Order: sequence, then structure tokens, then C-alpha cells
Amino acid sequence: MNAENLAKAKELLHRFPKQSSALIPLLHLVEDQFGYIPEAEVQVVADLMGVTPAYVESVLTFYTLFHRQPTGKYLIQVCRGLSCQLNGADELSRFLYDELGVGRNGTTSDGLFTVEEVECIALCKNAPAVQINLDFYPNMTREQLRSFLDKAAKEVRSGA
Amino acid sequence: MPEKRLLFKNIDVPGIDGIEVYEQHGGYQSLRKAVLDMTPDAVLQEVMASNLRGRGGAGFPTGRKWSFLPKDGRTRYLVCNGDESEPGTCKDQEIIYRIPHLLIEGVVTSAYAIGAEDAFIYLRGEFKTGYAVLERAIAEARAKGYVGDNVLGSGRRVEITLYLGAGAYICGEETALLESLEGKRGNPRLKPPFPATAGLYSMPTVVNNVETLSAVVPIIQMGGAEYAKLGTERSAGTKLFSVSGNVRRPGNYEVELGKVTLRELLYDIAGGPPEGHEFKAVIPGGSSVPFLTPDKFDTPLDYESLQAAGTMLGSGGVIVLDDRACIVGSTLRLMEFYRHESCGKCTPCREGTMWLNQVLQRLESGEGRPGDLETLADLCSNIDGQTFCPLGDAAIGALASGLKLFHDEYEAHITKGGCPMGEVVR
Repeated sequence: MNAENLAKAKELLHRFPKQSSALIPLLHLVEDQFGYIPEAEVQVVADLMGVTPAYVESVLTFYTLFHRQPTGKYLIQVCRGLSCQLNGADELSRFLYDELGVGRNGTTSDGLFTVEEVECIALCKNAPAVQINLDFYPNMTREQLRSFLDKAAKEVRSGA
Repeated sequence: MPEKRLLFKNIDVPGIDGIEVYEQHGGYQSLRKAVLDMTPDAVLQEVMASNLRGRGGAGFPTGRKWSFLPKDGRTRYLVCNGDESEPGTCKDQEIIYRIPHLLIEGVVTSAYAIGAEDAFIYLRGEFKTGYAVLERAIAEARAKGYVGDNVLGSGRRVEITLYLGAGAYICGEETALLESLEGKRGNPRLKPPFPATAGLYSMPTVVNNVETLSAVVPIIQMGGAEYAKLGTERSAGTKLFSVSGNVRRPGNYEVELGKVTLRELLYDIAGGPPEGHEFKAVIPGGSSVPFLTPDKFDTPLDYESLQAAGTMLGSGGVIVLDDRACIVGSTLRLMEFYRHESCGKCTPCREGTMWLNQVLQRLESGEGRPGDLETLADLCSNIDGQTFCPLGDAAIGALASGLKLFHDEYEAHITKGGCPMGEVVR
């Protein structure tokens, strides 16, 4: 963890009536900083919490928003809940796989994009819905996805 | 009968997510009334009188739930369930993101009523932006004295702590939520003891849904007896319905319970089926409840009527399927969800959802065998009522009813060697 997150972590250890509650927030700090939970950070979190790394693993593997492998700069999650599927979610996923040349849960070789199909994200009235780095993108179309991909790739090329 | 807006009364007012505008529209008057003019027990009595029932899915009477807290002087906690993960349900999300102060007012008023100094709002991990919205709103409310050590100078302390989950449907089940809030895997707990006696950190705890706690605000404002006049005798008040799927105007709609039929919701409010199509079936209470077919569309939307029609009101997540939708493919999609979300603790749910998934996949891909439908029904009956928490029952809700209502369609997947409607759900 970087210094800023370490300071936040110390505050989190005392935020709740019992320290055990701090574990999931600490893992969020790591996921946010690295885009996944690196092995070395499991030890850091375990030391902060005073538990074993195995215990930290047992908790983090329960939750789908914690990744064990690095994810792309943009984590694109296509909702495949029934309401989204009835409105063409599968076409959006297929479009992304074709466009980016990756499979399910795959990351592009330049490390820019990861595509996941995820369970219902509570945007059913705006189906089909997508979230990118957990920001909501309601009523998505292939055209909107294409312009997002183009814009993101351009930004990275220009060094932004 | 059109919409009846209590919770959503001011949702379209520009800037209502800010405290100034919220106050200008009567915001925090219920909290003021409760904390300054009423005893905690008087607030509880109003909620009892309102006949409010839990809006998360189970429909348990809220006042009764509160009254189960033992009077033994131990620390009590209020936990707001904002894990909204039931497929087809997106109403709490709209409250959190658009009218955060309504939820905060409901939480503080309810915490006052049950004697909790610490309240927690547990949000599903995907509501990261909602977390930021609430964080800002809580800071505004604290600056105005609505939250903190001395609420409105009453000498009563109510603090709100936000907690972000990390992706697990099961954490919407209240004891799994408490485990998660304690920083653990979200495995449901054995009940009893119920959270009222041993909840968060083993202390007496009330867990209520976002919509339930928000409803406390109009209840205190209008009085429990007035609220109880809305809706029907056993299904009082208003309820948010999330309408989604194959429908012209998907959205969250607030209606008086029992005063609107499913047909009126689908046609008059949500605009009917997409051009050139007809409705085929509806899952009216989130993905965990049985299908209703169009011959039952005149059922009034309340707990009792929907139960009599063979389904449940549940979370109010109305998923609409039109004539393009394949029932087998749809129930396969739902089963993949439950297989993925089963916590793995109970064998019937862990193994059963996997097997159901395999058989449904087989049917959909044209490899169905004679006897598969009997296998599906048999598996369903071996899960039904055999699990620790309601996830097992939820997993088979749509499928078990689909097998009865659309038996021919399942049969055709075997005899025709696959889905007659094409490879995807629609």
C-alpha cells in the first residue's frame, strides 16, 4: 500500500466498534490502488489486522469484486442479469470480445481493458447496463461502447 | 389508479440530493417531530400502527421486528440493508443516489425509536458512487445537527457508519449481511438466535431494507393511522415496483398496495409491451418468485393477492418477458445466477443449483434427454425447504413454476433438439 492508503488503513482499523469489520474496507483500498489484490498485499493486510494471510484469503475469495489477477486500466463489466439479457446484453459482450480480441474475463495485451460479464448490478430499468470501473453506464449500445473504447485508447496513446 | 408518491414525492425536484433543497421541501421535519416531540416508544407505536411491512422481500411487519429487541440494557444497533442484489430490483439504488437525505432521515428516526446510537448502512460493492453520495449527505446532515453526538440538541447520539460490500448476492440475507459487516465471509447464520437478540457483534440488532427505513419518514409525518389507510388492511402503504425487461417504459414506480393490478402497472403505467409484441410472462417480485402468466394479470399488487395467485410480491422487481423470450433460456440464466451466488454452505443449494444448471444447459443446447424434466422437478423438490437460508428456495422459484406453466416449451426443447427460439434468450 502507498503511504496515503496506509494512513487510511490505520484510520479504518479504529472506525468500527470491532476491528474485524475493517478487513473488507482494507481490501477495497488494495483493490483500488492495484486493480487487484497482489499476494504481497495479503500479507500487509494480515499484519495490519493481526490475522493470518490464509484468513485474509478465505474472506477475499468470497467476494467477486476482489480480483486475484491484474485487471486492465478499464474494467468493463457487462450486466448479464435477466432484464439486461432480454435487452441485448449478450450482443454487447460479444461486441467487446470481438472488438478487443479477448475472451471472458480477459485483459487486452496492452493492459487497457478487461471484460467481465457480471450478475445483476441493480440498473434493471436502464437495461442493458454496463459498469466501467464501477461507474454506471445505463442503456448501453454497441456504438456507445465503441466510442468509449476509441476515446480511452486515444487518451492513453496521447499520454493522458 | 396512477402512481401514489410518498417516498418519491420530491424525487424530480432539482437539487433534492442536497440538504438545503431537501429541507425546503419539508425534509427532516419527521426527524424533528420524532426527536423533539415524541418518546422513542411513541415513534415505535406509530410504526406499529402504520402496518408497514419490510420492503426488502420478506414482508415482515417492521414494528413487530423492532419490538423483539430485548430490554436488557445492552448496546443496540440499527443496520440498513442496501445490498440490493435481487435481479430485477433497482429501487433502493434510486433512493440512495437521488434522495439520500430521505434515507438518512429514516435511519436516524428509526435509530432513535429503537434506542440505537450506532446505525450502519451496508451498500453492495457496486454502489461505490452511492457511497460517495451518502458520505457527502451524511456530512451535510451532521453539520446541521441531524446526525452526531447530540441530534437536534436532544442529548441523543445517533452516528451513521457506511460500509461497502464487495460483490455477493447472499449478503442481502440479513445474517449473511451481518457476517460481512463484521469483515467475514458472507455465510448465513443459524437462526435462532435472531438478530434481535444476537445480531451485529452479537448485540441486539434490527436489519431493515432501504425502502423500509425511508417509509418511516412519511409515516411519522402523516401518523401511522393515516399511513395504514393507504393500501389494504394487511398490505398497507405504498410500494416501489421496479419494472424491467420487455416493456415500453421500464422504471421505478410507486403505487398504493392493492389498488393497482399487475395489468394496470404493465399497461397504463409502464406503457405495455414493445411494438408488435405481446406479454408472455412476468416474474413480479424479483427473480426468486414464481412466474405469472397473462391470465393472472388482473391480480392486485399486494402481498396477499399475489400469494393467492401463486407467486409473491417479494422485492417488487417486476421482470417482464414478451413473446420473443424463451422460458427455458430465461430460467437457465436465472439458475446460472443462483449457482454463482450460492455460498456453498448447504449441500442441496450448492450441488442442486449446479445440477439444475447442467440439465437446463443441456436442454437449451439441444442435448436434452427423455426424463430431464422429471429430473428438474425432482431436484427442485430436493432443494425446496432444505437449506439454511432462503437462497435455495429462491433458486427454484421461477423454474418450478415454469415447468408447470410452460411444460410444452420445456418438452419441445427435448423433442426439437434445442431451443426453437434461437440461441439467445430472445
